[in-house]
Amino acid sequence: MNSIIFKREIYTYFRNMNYIFLPLIFFFLVISIFPLVIGPDKSLIAKIIPGIIWITIIFTTLISTSNFFKDDYNNGVIEMYLTSEKSIEFILFLKIIICWFFAIFPIIIFIPIVSIMFNISLHTLTIIFLTLLLGTPVLVSIGIFGSALTTGISMNNILGPIIIVPFYIPVLIFSASAIESVSNGLPYDLQIYVLLSILLLILPTMPYLLKYTLRISINN
Amino acid sequence: MNISKIANLQYFYKHTKNVSKILSFITFSLFIVGIFWGLYIAPKDYLQGDSYRIIYLHVPAAWLSLQVYIVMAVTGFIALVWKIKIMEIISIQSASIGAYFTLIALVTGMIWGKPTWGTYWVWDARLTSELILLFLYIGVIVIYSSFADKRQGAKIAALLAIVGLINIPIIHYSVEWWNTLHQGPTVTKFEKPSAHITMLIPLLYMLLVFNLYFLTVLIKRVRLGIFQREKNTKWMESYLND
Repeated sequence: MNSIIFKREIYTYFRNMNYIFLPLIFFFLVISIFPLVIGPDKSLIAKIIPGIIWITIIFTTLISTSNFFKDDYNNGVIEMYLTSEKSIEFILFLKIIICWFFAIFPIIIFIPIVSIMFNISLHTLTIIFLTLLLGTPVLVSIGIFGSALTTGISMNNILGPIIIVPFYIPVLIFSASAIESVSNGLPYDLQIYVLLSILLLILPTMPYLLKYTLRISINN
Repeated sequence: MNISKIANLQYFYKHTKNVSKILSFITFSLFIVGIFWGLYIAPKDYLQGDSYRIIYLHVPAAWLSLQVYIVMAVTGFIALVWKIKIMEIISIQSASIGAYFTLIALVTGMIWGKPTWGTYWVWDARLTSELILLFLYIGVIVIYSSFADKRQGAKIAALLAIVGLINIPIIHYSVEWWNTLHQGPTVTKFEKPSAHITMLIPLLYMLLVFNLYFLTVLIKRVRLGIFQREKNTKWMESYLND
């Protein structure tokens, strides 16, 4: 049963490759726009590029997780899941992981290209990599929570992001400061540990929260 | 007094009309006294002069902005767990009152900041977390208003408020940590000198008045919320026709 659901979730991504490519293209498009606005000053760009990467990641996450449950809701799949005797928590956990893997993980793989474009040193690049690996699953699961809250509403394209962005702040602060500490030659393990603890706190609790939220959202 | 009776919408609506009138009168007179006390009788600050007097509005508003969030989340929790209708209404009506308090705290803080710090806004930890608090309030209000089914909207808003309450300390401490990392010395420079007792007593008095004001406005708004929800019922029609 779980393997069937697993396959179904993966097929929905593979049958429409846009799910994978569009976030990637969006990320690179937005990140290339920043120098055009700020100006080609290399030292200034080098100083703010960690922030730019994180802001762009946030936009990408918000866009790829908005309307996350829309199709499943319209098909009635969510209701099927909620009434089935299988644990929906596990299915929701799978959905979070699969969404992260297909929408955000490709961006993390292509981050070295950004580092070439913006002259990021290898050491800083590893930390950007690490913070993204630890931080983006949290961003994705909170984004999915936002879209679960707004599932019952028809006009929810911008509502989800408005609700969700304040919850991104801790992750944002600690990742940006880890990257900044590395580029200044300061220790950064505290920030990494905090990110890890946020991840370990959010990932196991989020499916239960999502289940409860969906129960309320769909009950009409 | 019987709790279950007060929780009944009909009972609450019929019996709070006079209460809210009396409360508004008391709050208004106490507020006038407090304003006079704070702005005229309380001594001048030796460092900041008269400009410090705005704290008699600013500090109670900032205090209430947090307190109302707690009220909103706790009543929301009660509404979700025990499905008490009036708690839903209290929770959602607190959201807009809390947002106003947050806005007042921010604006008065900015007005105070101009003569004291030289700018309206600094990215100080407290200011930033207050701003984020405003966004959290706006999120709750906006999600409630976009549901056509108001009961469902109230439930979702209550859930968001509870999750927000868990997050507020995390956000606050991370912002504080971020701030000390970036501009440590500037924060301690602006630290307030500890208040003298003649300034402190009117401040505590204003805090009390603001709490009373919250209670008054909450009762009025809950009555409005009950009216909006029950306007088509029989008892409301017969009550209004009397």
